[in-house]
Parts: sequence; C-alpha cells; structure tokens
Amino acid sequence: MAQTLLSARGLSRRFGGLIAVRDVDLDVREGEILGLIGPNGAGKSTLFKLIAGILRPSAGSVTFAGRSIAGGRTSAICRAGIASTHQIVRPFRNLSVLDNVLIGAFFGRRPRPPHEAARRFALETLERCGLLERADSPSRTLTLAGLKRLEIARALATEPKLLLLDEVLAGLNPTETDATLELVRGINAGGTTIVMVEHNLRAVRGLCSRLVVLVEGRLLLEGSPDAVLADPRVVEAYLGAAHA
Amino acid sequence: MRRRRLWSLLALAVALALPLLAPHAEYLLDVAFLVLLYGAMATGWNVLGGFAGQVSFGHAAFLGIGAYTAAILVAQGWPIWATALPAGALAALYSLIIGWPTFRLRGPYFSIATIGIGEATRLVALNWTSLTGGASGLTLSAAPSPATQYYAALALCCGAVGAAAWIQSSRFGYALAAIRSDTDAAETLGVDTTLAKTQALAISAFILGVAGCVYAMHYLFISPDSVFGFSTSIALVVMPIVGGLGTVLGPLLGAAVFTVLREQLEANFQNLDLLVFGVLLCAIVLFEPAGLLGIFNGLRQRWRKHS
Repeated sequence: MAQTLLSARGLSRRFGGLIAVRDVDLDVREGEILGLIGPNGAGKSTLFKLIAGILRPSAGSVTFAGRSIAGGRTSAICRAGIASTHQIVRPFRNLSVLDNVLIGAFFGRRPRPPHEAARRFALETLERCGLLERADSPSRTLTLAGLKRLEIARALATEPKLLLLDEVLAGLNPTETDATLELVRGINAGGTTIVMVEHNLRAVRGLCSRLVVLVEGRLLLEGSPDAVLADPRVVEAYLGAAHA
Repeated sequence: MRRRRLWSLLALAVALALPLLAPHAEYLLDVAFLVLLYGAMATGWNVLGGFAGQVSFGHAAFLGIGAYTAAILVAQGWPIWATALPAGALAALYSLIIGWPTFRLRGPYFSIATIGIGEATRLVALNWTSLTGGASGLTLSAAPSPATQYYAALALCCGAVGAAAWIQSSRFGYALAAIRSDTDAAETLGVDTTLAKTQALAISAFILGVAGCVYAMHYLFISPDSVFGFSTSIALVVMPIVGGLGTVLGPLLGAAVFTVLREQLEANFQNLDLLVFGVLLCAIVLFEPAGLLGIFNGLRQRWRKHS
C-alpha cells in the first residue's frame, strides 16, 4: 500500500454558528487521484482551504509529509509542496499569462530557483498546459477555459507534491473537459498526488482512484468510485430519499 | 533598451551640468531642486503605493521623521550630510512599527488607517515640545550653497529612481505586482505577502526619510504643519497618479508637473493650485489611469504607426 502523504485528524471549521467542516479524518495516499464529492454546501471548498492554509481550522490537525502544517502561513504551506487552484478563477489581471505562471515558479519552490531557470520552467509549464502560444497575452484576454488552465499552470509552476483542484471542469464544454481531464491525468502520471473537488461524476468515475463523500461537513463514506457512486446513502445525499 | 540607457545618460549629463550652465539662474536651479526633491519623494511613495498597490495617505510621517532627525542631529553638531543615513534609517524603523498593525487591513481600510497614522504622528511632533520644539518648530543655522543642495537632491532622486528601476525588474517587483493584483492569490502561490509589503514600506519610508534630510537643508525651518502636514501626504499621492502609477519614471514626471504648476499658481493666484490639482486628478483617474506617462506612450505609439 502506498504511503500516506497527507493526513487530517478531527479537522473542524466553524463560521459563527455554522459548522462548515466537522471532525473530518482524511488520508491522502502518495500518487493517487482522490475525488472529493458531495452536494453544494457540503464543505468541500472549506476543507480545501483548511488544507491549503487559506483558512485556519477551528480544531484538528493536518500532517503533510510527516510535518504538522495546520495553522501555518499559506505561502509557507505552498512552498512545503501543497498547491491549490481557486474555484472562481483569480488571475493576476495586470500581468501576462507567462508572468502569472512566473510568480508560482519564482516563489512557490524551495530552494528559490535562479531567474533563468524559473523562466524556463514557467515556459515548460505553459507548454504542458497548452498555453504556450498565449504566453505574452494579458491574462484578462483568456477565455474561461484558458483561465482555468492558467489556474492549473500557476499551481503546477510551484512544483507541488500535492495539487488541490477545486472544480476545474465547471463551466467547460465537452471538448475542453476532455482536454483538461487529459492534462490532469498527465500531471498525476508525472508523480503529483491530486485531490479534486468535482461535480462532474462521469469525469470523477473515469479519473479518480478513490472517492470521499462529504455531506453537511461530515465525512459520509469513502471507497472505490463504483462502490461509492452506487451507494444508496450517496444517491440520497444528492437526490433525496425518494431516489435512493 | 540600449536607447533607453543612452537617454538616461544624456538626462543625467544635463542634470549634472545645470548649475554650471546656468550659474546665475537661481530661480531655475531652485525649481530644478524642488522637482528632484519631490520627484524622489513621489518615487519613494510609488514603491508601496504604485508597485504594491498599497495606497498610503500618511507618508508625510516618514518625511517628517527624516527632517526632524536631521535637524536634531545638526543641533548636536553633526554635519548635515552625515544625517542622511540616520534620517532614512529612523523613518524605515518607524515604518516597521506601523506596518505591523496596518497591513492587517486591506485596500481602502489600509488607506484610512494610514491617514490616522499620519495625523497621530503630526500630533506627537506638535506636543513633544522638549524634542521637537512643538509648534514653533526647529531652525537650522546655515544652508549649504544652492549648487550643493541641488546636487544632494539629484543624488537622492537618482538613488530613488534607480531603486525603483531595480525593484521593477527584480523578483521582488514580481511579488509586489502580484500583491497589487490579488493579494490572496499571491499568497497561495508562495509569496509571503506580509513580508513583501513590509519590505516595500521600509524602502519607501527610507527614501522619504532621506528626502526629509534634504528638505531640512533647503528650508532651514521645519514645523509639524510643514513636514508632517496632511497636504504633504496628499501631494505624495497626487504626483505618482498624475505621472503614472506603478511606473519607474511616472512619479518623477508627476512631480515635475506638480512643482512647476504649483510655483506658477502660488505666485499668481493664492490657493488656486488645490483646485487645479483636484481637477487634474479627477481627469487622470477618469480618462487615463496610466497617467501622463500613459498619454505620452500612447502618442509615441501612434506616431510610430504613422511613420
């Protein structure tokens, strides 16, 4: 069995009276593509933000590659090897596509690479993500599909061990979806462990080696995609008791 | 790139030779001095306000601390030139103290907090009479010659613009550009945004502090209302925006327009300068956010297309 790369224990986050994530235990194994699914408002994005250090957990611990990271600075967690994409794209609109990726290549890696090496790496990353010919365009001129790819490219430029993808397929047409799935598969084949939040269940079934279901902030169950998607509790969570 | 270097060298040569070319044009030298001094101040403000997008309305605090440091040390028997470094260092140190609480605030909230910081600093200077002389201010005894003052301002301005050019082309400049665009996204890509903002503030404050020393050697009299005044802080915001926010040469250009215009208006129509700058600021923000430098670059591109 593969080694555990990241493990969360008793992870909780409350916003005032609302408990968005409650007492979640989660293990991510090295090299896998783990799918995180659940209905809207289940706490999937919050869980991502807790792992990436964008939000501080109210309780619980996160261990990454043997080190405790919960409550650390976001930039420090990024340099330790966890990169995340934003569900709603957030490009640096005043910078070119290449410069967007350069930020990740400059600051997301440890030790800091020399200028030229970072630039080369950023260009390679753009090529992998199919954005090379747009390198000098202002990032605001990209389409939504392009911007989602830019999110991935930027995160990838930090050379993460663990990549958190938050709904990178949302809003894409079938052709763009297939291309992005191919990209994600390639990234994983290159040795990067991936956790993805995704509503496209067909894509999740084809891509993920394991699924975790989150409902109302709690971990409902985990297992192989086929077993999880056929489970009556999952169908009930998505569609209501009448369909289970 | 090469042509740009040529132009910079040419400009520097003219600037260096100005006191020799015009030995009796005292007024010209005086205006050139002010352009360089205010240009350096605006360039310093722009490191934080333009490059990093953290708009401060309290930067007079750093000018004031620099000016008072210089004046107090001169009273202790220091030569004025030797006070430049302590003036900058003390302003930078002060910036670290105020950066820690204010950088917890974002955007407009940060800007509002800096107004408070600037005013609080002025009030402390006004009431700490034993150190600052209070409202009656401090007077320096002897001024260096106009040419010496001019060269001091020129050195300061070259240093400030050089630092800005270096920052813009460096990795640090990338971090600041990312922070200006989206601070949270920059943080998730490994940029320690608080550290980078603090460094930008310290560099900015250092330049303003040294400028305070040059200010003191020129005016020979400093008071809380002159160096710590809110109107100085406003001028520091207006000049870079008019010239070109977040560019290397924009603040200097803005300072040149600001200084020359103000000299003319103050001589002929009292207080009209405030109205003119208000209108100018509105026009720039509405029609050409890239400032005068943006207009200039646009014209140059159009001219190239035609030829």
